[in-house]
Amino acid sequence: MNAARPVEQALWWLAAIPATMVIFVGFGLPLVQSVVASFTRDGVLTLANYELVYRLYRQDVVYTVQVAAAGLALTFGIGIPLSGYLRLHHSQTAEFLLKVPLFVPFVVVGHAMRIFLAPRGTLLVGLHALGLASPDTTLAISEGALGLSMALAWKHLALVVLLLMGAFRGVSEEYLEAARGFGAGTFRQIWAVLVPMAAPSIGLAVVLSLTSMLASFSIPLMMTKGSGPQMLMIDLYYRYGQHGDIGVASAIGVVSYLLAAGAAYYYLKGIAR
Amino acid sequence: MRRLVAVLVVLVAVAASGPTGYGQSRVTLQVAIAADVNVVEVHRNYLGVAFNKNNPAVTVNAVGTGTGEAASRAIYTKLKAQADTGRRNWDVDVALVSMRYASQMAKENLLHRFVSEMQFAPYVVGPDTVRAFGVDIKGYVVPMFRNQIAIAYNPQFVSKPPRSFAELEAWVRANPRRFGYNGIKGGVSGIGFVMGWVYYKTGRYDLFAQGPFDKANDGLIRGAIEQLREFNRNVFVTSGNAGTLDALNRGEIWMGAVWVDQLVAWKNEGRMNPEITPVLIAPGLPIYPIYLTVTREAANRDWAGKYVDFVANPQIQAKVIVEQFGWYPGIDPNRVMPLVSAAAKALLFKGVTPEDLARYSQQMPIGDYYDAILLAYEEIVR
Repeated sequence: MNAARPVEQALWWLAAIPATMVIFVGFGLPLVQSVVASFTRDGVLTLANYELVYRLYRQDVVYTVQVAAAGLALTFGIGIPLSGYLRLHHSQTAEFLLKVPLFVPFVVVGHAMRIFLAPRGTLLVGLHALGLASPDTTLAISEGALGLSMALAWKHLALVVLLLMGAFRGVSEEYLEAARGFGAGTFRQIWAVLVPMAAPSIGLAVVLSLTSMLASFSIPLMMTKGSGPQMLMIDLYYRYGQHGDIGVASAIGVVSYLLAAGAAYYYLKGIAR
Repeated sequence: MRRLVAVLVVLVAVAASGPTGYGQSRVTLQVAIAADVNVVEVHRNYLGVAFNKNNPAVTVNAVGTGTGEAASRAIYTKLKAQADTGRRNWDVDVALVSMRYASQMAKENLLHRFVSEMQFAPYVVGPDTVRAFGVDIKGYVVPMFRNQIAIAYNPQFVSKPPRSFAELEAWVRANPRRFGYNGIKGGVSGIGFVMGWVYYKTGRYDLFAQGPFDKANDGLIRGAIEQLREFNRNVFVTSGNAGTLDALNRGEIWMGAVWVDQLVAWKNEGRMNPEITPVLIAPGLPIYPIYLTVTREAANRDWAGKYVDFVANPQIQAKVIVEQFGWYPGIDPNRVMPLVSAAAKALLFKGVTPEDLARYSQQMPIGDYYDAILLAYEEIVR
């Protein structure tokens, strides 16, 4: 039995090599390369790329965090009560409808929201038809952070509902019955029982949604106007695509890694102990 | 439908009139296209098919690499990698790339100088076939077509369109947020408008377009861009060329800087208010060609040159490039325009006449000034 152990271990290592290599070649190596590129200009080690990021894009870093935070607030502000309600009052149709955005590509969401929220877009036409807006009114939601956060929230709500429903279903019915026995209503059951007991899953959903929102590209590309603050991925694409400036593009990438890594660190340390 | 049939008939006729056969072995000509899907389709469904009819041994494989400068960059990166590793027989024969990357590829010796070997070489004319972004490109490129940036306006709201940047400035002041363009991150039409603005404000077109670069002129550029920041306060900055056309269509803006080809194409497809008319303002706006090039180590270099020659045929230019797609000819217009139908001419030159093009079409600045202007814009206007 003991003699077989080293062989077994060697086989385990062997089995793990392909997957580890994929992670190393597909993610680790490009990560190292982009970190190195971010500190290099014309073959010389320098901080010039970060200096340019600070000069041109520091407001965009703040803007990106703001949009992602607003998107998260919207997603979870709607997602938690909705998932909680559906856990307590089952509705298969509502659950299915909530998951529909999972199957809509990001770029389609961006285009649809752009048309829907445009200054004279579908939303305004609808409001006008209902007599709630005058023909001269124009909306400016699609251009700014609000429209972007709304689009990101719509797209991410499906994943969040999927994760939360799983977690809420994992909470034993006995706890809920006990809460109801003490007179807890729907809101109280969600807030005092479901949310604390599903906290690790909510934390995971927050981190996944946040990193996805920080990295969002096609929705901002479709929706934002060409002036004012931009999401970081738009800046990264512009630096690389328009100027071929790998150094600054990599520096923007590293800043994005740090933002996402900060959220992941908080999750690992704080919630998933 | 009748026009489509006519185009196909011309394509087959032109193909049949050319030289036949070029060895018997089968060849797949790899054509990489850094442009919109409509350009990929022209090569795949029209030009490639017709070229194959005449040369049955050659199959044209047209592949799109996306849109914008990033698409050209993808081709450049691929060729550069093959050059750096010392590979022979590169896997791209013909590359259709933007002016910016064609000049970079010529500078870095990634292209084959083939134009002199072409039958239609004498028709490859214009300053943009000689220098681009300060680089000598003569003999390396044949413009497939040229595309002009112009100011499109809605006559329902604009009775007297501006004829100059100064008139545009006054109009925008009087009509806040009724003029739109797409900044510098939404595509080259916005970038071109910014370049036109700098030419207008500094009055130094020759310096920027021909060089030499001198960092001391940064103050000149920044002065012009600071005035653009003020101008932009009354401007609706859209998300892209399509965004500008959309806003014009919905009546959100009454005037906007757009590519003429997309305006004409959208009108042809019935997606655009037919009343929207382009006008070219003084002292001018950039014209931007898209270049056919043959790569230095193309596996099928001779066929690649012949394919470009085929696209430069005045008949093809007239029937496909101008009539079918509403682009300005890539080769000498004097050879092409007599072959174009009156209806197509009327559509193409509605608003922007050949005389306007001759007077007000400008080149993009040389590379260093181009970068300096964009950097100033990012820093000052945002």
